[in-house]
Amino acid sequence: MTTCLLLSSLSCSTRQSQSESSAGAGLRQIVDDAGRHISIPAKVGRVVSLAPNLTEILFAVGAGNTLVGDTTYCDYPAEAKGIEKVGDTLHPSLERIIALSPQLVLVSTASQLEVFTEQLKAHNIEVFVTDPKDLEGVFRSVTQIGDIVGKTSEAKSLVDKLRERAANVESAVRPLPRVRLFYQLSAEPLYTAGHDSFVTDLINRAGGESVTASVPGAWPKYSAESALAAKPDAIILPTGGSMGEGNSMVAEALRNSPAAQRGRVYKINDDHLVRPGPRAVDGLEEMAKALHPDAFQQ
Amino acid sequence: MTTALLSIRQGRVTLRKTMVWCAALIVALLLTVLIAALIGSEKLPTNASACSILSVGMNPCGLTRDQLDILFQIRLPRILLAAAVGGSLATAGASYQALLRNPLAEPYLLGVSNGAAVGTMLALVFFGTFEWSRPFMAFVGSLLATFAVYRLGRGRVGATPERLILAGVIVTTLLSSVIVFVTTLMDATRIRSFTFWLLGDLSGANRRLLPLTISVAVIGTVILTLNARSLNLLMLGERDAFDLGVEVSRVRITVFLVASLLVGSSVASSGSVGYVGLVVPHLARLSLGSDNRISIPSAAILGALFVIIADTVARTIIAPRELPVGAITALIGAPLFIYLLKRD
Repeated sequence: MTTCLLLSSLSCSTRQSQSESSAGAGLRQIVDDAGRHISIPAKVGRVVSLAPNLTEILFAVGAGNTLVGDTTYCDYPAEAKGIEKVGDTLHPSLERIIALSPQLVLVSTASQLEVFTEQLKAHNIEVFVTDPKDLEGVFRSVTQIGDIVGKTSEAKSLVDKLRERAANVESAVRPLPRVRLFYQLSAEPLYTAGHDSFVTDLINRAGGESVTASVPGAWPKYSAESALAAKPDAIILPTGGSMGEGNSMVAEALRNSPAAQRGRVYKINDDHLVRPGPRAVDGLEEMAKALHPDAFQQ
Repeated sequence: MTTALLSIRQGRVTLRKTMVWCAALIVALLLTVLIAALIGSEKLPTNASACSILSVGMNPCGLTRDQLDILFQIRLPRILLAAAVGGSLATAGASYQALLRNPLAEPYLLGVSNGAAVGTMLALVFFGTFEWSRPFMAFVGSLLATFAVYRLGRGRVGATPERLILAGVIVTTLLSSVIVFVTTLMDATRIRSFTFWLLGDLSGANRRLLPLTISVAVIGTVILTLNARSLNLLMLGERDAFDLGVEVSRVRITVFLVASLLVGSSVASSGSVGYVGLVVPHLARLSLGSDNRISIPSAAILGALFVIIADTVARTIIAPRELPVGAITALIGAPLFIYLLKRD
């Protein structure tokens, strides 16, 4: 928190000096999810994305051509694989980013920030942080990124469509009783989605009720006996996407849960659940259909 | 060292004293197991749980099916694993310290734990489905690391404590970079599990490997205790021990093999739990004297106690979330160690 504040005040002071020196160059100011004020050209044409969800957002608003670098995790859409790789999300190569001379670097959490913001700033490269905590946050990311790359109307129509699909799901499941479920991010050690995860919001919208919804943090390591005692009626396993089949078995503590006994264990493509991008709505639909098949029978 | 000399000269320490101490410590251990089993993120009825545990699960004592599962499928296996890991690491530490005549010799500081960690990781990357490969590769890794440190630590004038610790630092850092390199070979989901596991984590109390970890802990402790008299003599120096009839190289190889096996089996099941091998043997020697015939078996039991308590804290302090047990052993161990150093 303090670092965030510190960084934002730092970026404020540099921003002022920068906008003074390049006044009239068409710079404008925006605020990112970390609360930092950054100044960017009116239309950004060269972007590096450091997370697969941000790459997906860029392509979805029709700005794939602005992408000059992305990570080895960026595998969707297929064109994203052909973009120059700058490393993976956790270990990007600063040199390669600078060599690509982007105007803006998109990052998905503030944790990556401290490492290179200052160094990139020295090369006139700004860093934009997204940190969506719910589906609204994902829509906000889409709108902001669309705005940054000059695709405001495309982003708006994309968000409108996504919002409509989400609303359809929600109205279909609203009359139905909520399904108490456990979201198993990994079995050993047992990780789940906590209060700050956008997945918890997706679960709510899909007519579920996460038994770990009030646990602090986004991805907490969870007590096996608490998972057993929660007796979930359903289990969601994000698996089968780019993270492989590693998470396709229910944790030992949940083998005798009502969910496992009644066969209510649902595997959902992890790319739709762990990436806060446009496909999160796919994840929402898949989860809702798994939890409430009767509501979607037409 | 002088206390060791004294106790050997006096020859007062008998099998009987060892037995009495170990019996007392075992009672304390059983009590700790019972109490730890009554504490957890889920509240269970205390009397009924105690009743059921004391009947070894034969009598449900009115507990529901879920409560029995929590008690016997989740908590007790984890507590037993904690005991086996703590006992293994403390025994290994006590034996390294006696053999190498170095109070700082410890699996973690010598790089032996890291050797086992590299072995386990390679087993997971290359033989992921074959889980018995993990303890085996961990054993090979810790054995290689032990010999590397031992060879590096021996100069022309023999192994000085400083040289040995420096060798340990070199091997530890080298293996740490190997670990970082191996994690890049893994996919994103595995990396998350690994960072947790590397800090020492007992939540994956693997049912199939648990009997192996416990057997290794018990058998290893017995073998090392049987070598304790030779280790006592070795503390006088290898030449003197040899003159007194100790088969120095046989004892050395036995200790290296058995201690590596102990470290390997505990790292394969729970990652690198630090400080146990350092703090616990010191505690045992300070309170019970430096005769290895007492300090090795009592270090084993105290180690089991220490890790059970640390893990009880790790799984309850921010419940229902959990901390890695290695973070707790370090939090308790480091200040305790500083205190022990200051007291000397």
